[in-house]
Amino acid sequence: MACAQQIEIGLEPAADAASRVEASLELDFEFDQAAGRTVLSASRQQAPLQVVRAFALEDGSALAHLHNVSGGLLGGDRLAVRAQVGAGASAQLTTTGATRIYRPRKQAPDVTQVNEVRVGEDGLLEYVPDPIIPFAGARFHQQTTIRLAPGAGLFWWEILAPGREARGELFAYDRMELKMDIWTPERLIAAERVRLEPRMHAVSSLARLGDYRYWATFYICRVGAGPKLWVTAEERLREVAASASPAGETRWGVSTLAADGLVVRCLARQGRWVLAGLREIWSAAKSLLYGREAIPPRKVN
Amino acid sequence: MSIITEQSPGGDLEYLRLLHLADSALPIGALAQSFGLESLAACELLTPAGVPEFLRGYAEEAGVMEAVFCREAFRLAGVNAFASERWVEINQRLGALKPARESRAGSAALGQHFLSAVLGLGEFPLVRQALAAARQARSVVHHSPAFGLVAGVLGLDEERAVLAYLHQSLSSLVSACQRLLPIGQSEATRILWNLKPALIDAAARSRDCSVDDVSCFTPLLDWGAMEHPALTTRLFIS
Repeated sequence: MACAQQIEIGLEPAADAASRVEASLELDFEFDQAAGRTVLSASRQQAPLQVVRAFALEDGSALAHLHNVSGGLLGGDRLAVRAQVGAGASAQLTTTGATRIYRPRKQAPDVTQVNEVRVGEDGLLEYVPDPIIPFAGARFHQQTTIRLAPGAGLFWWEILAPGREARGELFAYDRMELKMDIWTPERLIAAERVRLEPRMHAVSSLARLGDYRYWATFYICRVGAGPKLWVTAEERLREVAASASPAGETRWGVSTLAADGLVVRCLARQGRWVLAGLREIWSAAKSLLYGREAIPPRKVN
Repeated sequence: MSIITEQSPGGDLEYLRLLHLADSALPIGALAQSFGLESLAACELLTPAGVPEFLRGYAEEAGVMEAVFCREAFRLAGVNAFASERWVEINQRLGALKPARESRAGSAALGQHFLSAVLGLGEFPLVRQALAAARQARSVVHHSPAFGLVAGVLGLDEERAVLAYLHQSLSSLVSACQRLLPIGQSEATRILWNLKPALIDAAARSRDCSVDDVSCFTPLLDWGAMEHPALTTRLFIS
């Protein structure tokens, strides 16, 4: 109960340095010719990261829920996630809820998470998680590397909340660092290096978020799809984004990448518009690129 | 009367060349780019009163990032055998860090025009080699690494070169603000004058970063640049 109370007020549960978690999760999705659908062929997991099972979706994809059984990330946690989607396979990953990053003890190192992702030839990965919510004092460092083979597709979004808004806790975290690289066989097509330290550099600067609170980034890629398709997709998704939420509440931007994809960016005053808008854009993009509907993930607890 | 040589005493020639290359009058098209400012002004997110604070934030984020790439390219010029693969790699990485198509293309246009302008001023084999390497790799050349490379080729001082790059790029943005907003000549001069400590700070911070880990978080400006193609009336290319 003391633990629960501590979590409720934003402190991580008491633990000494030796109990800090080093956990990894490895997922391999393959296309099962006999079954005619994608299956989770191998899964190696260390608590607190867990995937209970994969669910078959009606379009033949496999859906897996990434679950952190400790309820969130604690200071000093070091997590590694490796996901591989084989040739021709199609996988969807989501979370069971928001990723909470608790306030660490003063001496605790930053929480680190390293994500290594590979999508094989003509494979598809859809990563559609809930938001990241950094509590007051949180320090988080995430590094994601995605490698796409010829013909591989990707839908990948991340949503960063300002904190526990309902408590009035806005941008009270110490540091959020999100690094991402997306590679095709030819080249690096997208890179992100986000470092937010609200106490040192005001996030409310017009060069950063202005008076918006939420930020989301959504990569939509398919290696080998021609430049004309991306120009069409940029225009179409800009229209979809413009109608995705009330004017003034959000700012949606859509732009083609240097090659093989496009990026959607969102700034929002309230979180509720972000996920709904991303889903609309995802659905439109999936239709354009794959000729089929996006299937929003069922949530499990 | 003194005779100016390629190795002038006290580096006078180098200093004058640096001033020349960082002059906004250098015909490379810098004044045709707003890099998203036009959209921010059009929707009244950017106002005259907000310009100084916006530009300070810009210097802390994009300024540091561009300075890091400028430095990296500067150092390539000092290596005996030109590392053409690295040159292509840093240009591709900088392009990957620029999410908005028009801003990415604008930066690439300035880089290309800058190198071409320099080749029109003299024979610089390494600059020619850099252009050829990019062309062969079907890569673009961005402005900040182009500026850094040329500064290195000319034997200019690295710190001065980075500062000069930052100064001319912020100067171009101030000029764009003047054309987008009711900001007079005197006010624009004052804004740029007061920004100098921020530029020095950005240059200093860029010393401790590498092209692989330098951060840049300018989501509102990125949004502006992404929305720019949708503006009905446009003064700028980006």
